[in-house]
Amino acid sequence: MTSLVDRYVYTALRRIPEQQRSDIDRELRASIDDAVDARVESGEPLDTAVENALLELGDPDKLADSYADRPNFLIGPELYGVWRRFMLMLFTTVLPIVVVATSIGGFFADDVNIGAIIGNAIGTALTVGVHLAFWTTATFAVIERTGLGRDELRGGPWTPKDLPKYEPRAVSLGQVVTYVVWPVILIAAIILQRFTFTDVPVLDPGGWSFWWPLVIALIALKALWAVWLYRTGWTRPVLIVNALIAVAVGAVTTYLLASDNFFNPAFDWITDNNTDLLDWITPAVIVATIAGTLWDILETTIRGERARRGLPTKVPGSGNTYKFG
Amino acid sequence: MTTDATLATHLQELRRGTVVVASLMVLRAPGYGYSLLETLSEAGFDVEANTLYPLLRRLESQGLLVSEWNTDEARPRKFYRTTELGDTVANTLRGEWKRLDGAITDLSFTHPGSDK
Repeated sequence: MTSLVDRYVYTALRRIPEQQRSDIDRELRASIDDAVDARVESGEPLDTAVENALLELGDPDKLADSYADRPNFLIGPELYGVWRRFMLMLFTTVLPIVVVATSIGGFFADDVNIGAIIGNAIGTALTVGVHLAFWTTATFAVIERTGLGRDELRGGPWTPKDLPKYEPRAVSLGQVVTYVVWPVILIAAIILQRFTFTDVPVLDPGGWSFWWPLVIALIALKALWAVWLYRTGWTRPVLIVNALIAVAVGAVTTYLLASDNFFNPAFDWITDNNTDLLDWITPAVIVATIAGTLWDILETTIRGERARRGLPTKVPGSGNTYKFG
Repeated sequence: MTTDATLATHLQELRRGTVVVASLMVLRAPGYGYSLLETLSEAGFDVEANTLYPLLRRLESQGLLVSEWNTDEARPRKFYRTTELGDTVANTLRGEWKRLDGAITDLSFTHPGSDK
């Protein structure tokens, strides 16, 4: 009989902070004994009385949680919203960038193997994804328990000024970040391919005296253009400048490709079955460049014109259109 | 969720906090865990031992109760007593309880759409 009470008390005490244990031990035993006595007095046999008294107290682990007054959640309601937004950002922005950046290297390997590139991309996505999720959650759990930096994370009380702008002219920060990130990755790839990725650079090294710096400058202009767009919103000059940049990049690239000054001829373009990849890649890239340029101009102009004229725009995720004014 | 389960949730939310007021009032005369549990059950409070015992310690750490071990009897027991602060808090809570009761009573006499 005593053993049952002992087992109950010990199980509860295991999860209670040490400095409270002896006191709770005495108090809990006294309370159980009181309950048992009351039950015996009302005619229950001793064994049943003990069992029922313990049953009334319930799961000792829960009782211990209650005594220790600790949260039985990892991330509480105060931080959950911030955590969710943060995870969403990591998985929609950081993860794709990391996967694309690591996959680019595969295309410049000595023997390009599409299967291996896809496999690596999936592997990277899984590994990086698990790391992102784990470390973010672990950090938030620590903040939840220690309270360190919690107020900064919550970012002050909400005010109506925090509402996102849906006016068609307004350009969201996320949109601009996307516009800036891709030029930066492209520039990094152009510069890095000269030194790493492969023993022999993929792009013609002869172009570094003039053409590659020009291409880099034009791509950098596109990033600056995005910042300009963010500051002024969609205006006619913004659209014209975008078209000019697109045409300039497209023209230079097409010229370099057509005059065989784009790819490095010293690179090993011959495959195992003796076909010269360059004969295929050059026209393919020319077509892709022209199509890409046209798409960029059309897509940006249509989007910008709609916004500029204040036509109703779709608010992503709400299922509604927002009519300006 | 069934109606019963919905009702149970709302009842639990409504009752939460009443045990605190009741305990602080009962313990103006010193008492130990099990005795308080009995008193509250007899008075009609639906309270479980596993909520009440941890609650007493929490109220003690907040300074609303003080405790003392009584070893005069065969079974040593921890006696709790409401402090002055606890009494003030209990009175404030009771005042709020009365105000809410009054407000609810007023509401039941008000007809929607009428001037009063």
